Amino acid sequence: MIDVKNLSKSFGDHLVLDNITEHIDKGEKVVIIGPSGSGKSTFLRCLNLLEIPTKGSIIFNGADITNPNVDIDAMRRHMGMVFQHFNLFPNMTIQRNITLAPVRTGIMKKEEANEQALTLLRRVGLEDKADSYPSQLSGGQKQRIAIVRALAMKPELMLFDEPTSALDPEMVGEVLEVMRELAQDGMTMIVVTHEMGFAREVGTRVLFMDEGKILEQNTPGEFFTHPKEQRTIDFLSKVL
Amino acid sequence: MDLAQTFETWREMMLEGTANVWQTLYVRFYQAFIEGDRWQQYLEGVGVTLVVTAIALIIGVVLGVLVAIVRTAHDQQRPGRRKNIVLGLANAICKIYVTVIRGTPMMVQMLIMGMVIFASSRNYTMVGALTLGINSGAYVAEIIRGGLMSLDPGQAEAGRSLGLGYLDTMRFIVVPQAFKAILPSLGNEFIVLLKDTSLISIIGGQEMVYFAKNIVNRTFDAMFPLVGAAIIYLIVVMIFTWLQGKLERRLRQSDRR
Repeated sequence: MIDVKNLSKSFGDHLVLDNITEHIDKGEKVVIIGPSGSGKSTFLRCLNLLEIPTKGSIIFNGADITNPNVDIDAMRRHMGMVFQHFNLFPNMTIQRNITLAPVRTGIMKKEEANEQALTLLRRVGLEDKADSYPSQLSGGQKQRIAIVRALAMKPELMLFDEPTSALDPEMVGEVLEVMRELAQDGMTMIVVTHEMGFAREVGTRVLFMDEGKILEQNTPGEFFTHPKEQRTIDFLSKVL
Repeated sequence: MDLAQTFETWREMMLEGTANVWQTLYVRFYQAFIEGDRWQQYLEGVGVTLVVTAIALIIGVVLGVLVAIVRTAHDQQRPGRRKNIVLGLANAICKIYVTVIRGTPMMVQMLIMGMVIFASSRNYTMVGALTLGINSGAYVAEIIRGGLMSLDPGQAEAGRSLGLGYLDTMRFIVVPQAFKAILPSLGNEFIVLLKDTSLISIIGGQEMVYFAKNIVNRTFDAMFPLVGAAIIYLIVVMIFTWLQGKLERRLRQSDRR
């Protein structure tokens, strides 16, 4: 589904991603972990070109999205993204947050989008919030809405950039629950997270990144019980 | 006894030195506002003030938006990539414009425009409006740029990540939020502009201060015409402040908790 080839990214002189090559199949739930500054968020943001790679190519559904001639907006419609800080639009109601993109990009009529929004809200138990504004919601509710907003575009792939890092501990569970259900429905997911429990339970593959490289990867079972690299062992001993 | 007759009688007394304080004040007030229907001149002056403000506002906002777009687009170019030369040049021009306008007094700009650049023009009022507009543009540009820069980049990223184009993201997400953030500063700039219209009288623009000064010259009495003009400015500004407050409250709807 997505093919990353020799991807490098530097900010000025600072090399953040160092020649990464990776392939992700449809239906996989890839969890990326690693210390802060390892480039995991940058890697994720490169996948939908929120960061422009310095070198390399990213093939998504057969098209190289790093090619300037590719319509990146059309490509992004197939990739949902959930941010650490939710990034809901505070000037719109929840309903409009969810329906804006589907309606404006022309994939749905307004009535259809409204109906879909309600269905999705019901799924995350927030149907009574349709007419609220983001400032009236808790962090956990905001993040669930942000997931719904991304799902409203019917994406084939969901990118999660530390979706629970900005939440109060008691709200982490409700967001992970929504993600778990999404995984069960067969969504392809790439998740940058510090939630090791989630990685172990939901992930089909764990990537460990350090200093701009994917240092080690394995199935969650193997990865957490028999890490190979010394750096991975050190990291896991600190977070587990 | 009608007002005009009273005025005539008491003026005689005032000239003879036999009028009391109240009679003198009445005469001076009458001279400043009522004699020869002078109140019409103040009204005409307010009209010109409003028209000049409106013209200057349009010029200022158009210039300000253009300059803000150029400067923001220039600053938001991705680091490490080759810079756009045209944009670089436009940005340099905008920077010079903002620096010169903000670095020189309004009064001097007005005199240069009226007596040097448009020395041969007789349409002083319009030259004044143009000067005010150009001046205001520099400040509006900085206000808009500040508003766009203060917005969390995550907002635009969220819009783009949903597949919305640059223009849609600007239109529905960035601009409405930035506008709400800059409205108080923009209102402030508008009020400054409205009051600065008084400066066009120094190059012969015929707005309220111009008429007030004429009346001072006719009646040899400065207090009532000038204080009167001040009160009229104050009332107009208060009306606009009230309107601005209403608009801000409407835009704050989404902040309620």
